[in-house]
Amino acid sequence: MVFGRIINWIRNYFRLKNDIRLGIYGCTNVGKTTLANKMSLNFTGEELGKVSNIPHETRFVQKKEKVILESNGKKISLNIIDMPGLATKIDYRKFLKYKIKKKDAKKRAQEATQGIIEAIKWLNNVDTVLAVMDSTKDPLTQVNITLLGNLEAKNIPVILVANKTDLKKSNPDQIREAFPQYPVVDISALKGSNLDQLYEAIIKHARKAK
Amino acid sequence: MKMKMDFVSSVKLNGKTQKKKINYILGKVKDGSILVLDGVMKPEEEMDLIKETMRRVDNGFPGIEVCSLKKQTKGFKHVFELLSDRREKFWNWLRRKPYETDLKTGMTLIGPAKIIKKIKKNPDSFSVLAEV
Repeated sequence: MVFGRIINWIRNYFRLKNDIRLGIYGCTNVGKTTLANKMSLNFTGEELGKVSNIPHETRFVQKKEKVILESNGKKISLNIIDMPGLATKIDYRKFLKYKIKKKDAKKRAQEATQGIIEAIKWLNNVDTVLAVMDSTKDPLTQVNITLLGNLEAKNIPVILVANKTDLKKSNPDQIREAFPQYPVVDISALKGSNLDQLYEAIIKHARKAK
Repeated sequence: MKMKMDFVSSVKLNGKTQKKKINYILGKVKDGSILVLDGVMKPEEEMDLIKETMRRVDNGFPGIEVCSLKKQTKGFKHVFELLSDRREKFWNWLRRKPYETDLKTGMTLIGPAKIIKKIKKNPDSFSVLAEV
């Protein structure tokens, strides 16, 4: 029995080592959790987290482990890690617009600050990153620039995800122009469009961190 | 309505540890100043600035707005910059001192999010909309 446990432990240890920790990063309300849900639903049949249009809906790091992603006959084992949205400011008064009570808005803001700190700490523990951007908005934000600079300094592979292509204002080319050195995949996480291309890109670029 | 702007030479922050740099910046910004530095921090330092800002967010201080323009180095200069960073890190590690770095060539604006409403950035310029 003890021997069996040791064998299992060794198996799990090496399996864990082989899983690629895929961090989903980006600013708030760019569709990180919508994407994480779609990916998780496609390969495990379960969603990962709640989605809403109120900023900082995801305030805690959410994980889905052992997601076997398949594309074009190739397989890869992932731990999908959905991060709280990065920001340089959080004002609880903004949440009041969404008819949230003042006390709850303050609590939400406090949790959101903790979430951002956690997401930043996780940068040391991810192998590959999907940097999600809202293709209807200007991608040249300091948060995006700082995030990509950190990933480059840590030698972490990154795929830029130009999300919300289902919207009229969408312009994924502005992301390509702003960050020409990275692979960009245009998707609509909400409609589930072009996800196959994203999966192919993940299989192509994802690797364990050194 | 008054607005205070502090223009700070990189000399003031060069050679300081990351913690000291961030404390200096956030001290000024939390007091309501808009800070203009004649240099840029490393991406890791900027991320730590965001992290430390989040620790200090409260009802009166919702955070910061930050924007930097970095002089892009290419080819041999880029490699030289990377090697120089590694050398600095190694030297500080040998002396068992906290990591000290100099600001890189460029410009950074950091201000309270309460005052700065919008920053529009282009690859080689940015404009700031502030409301006091």
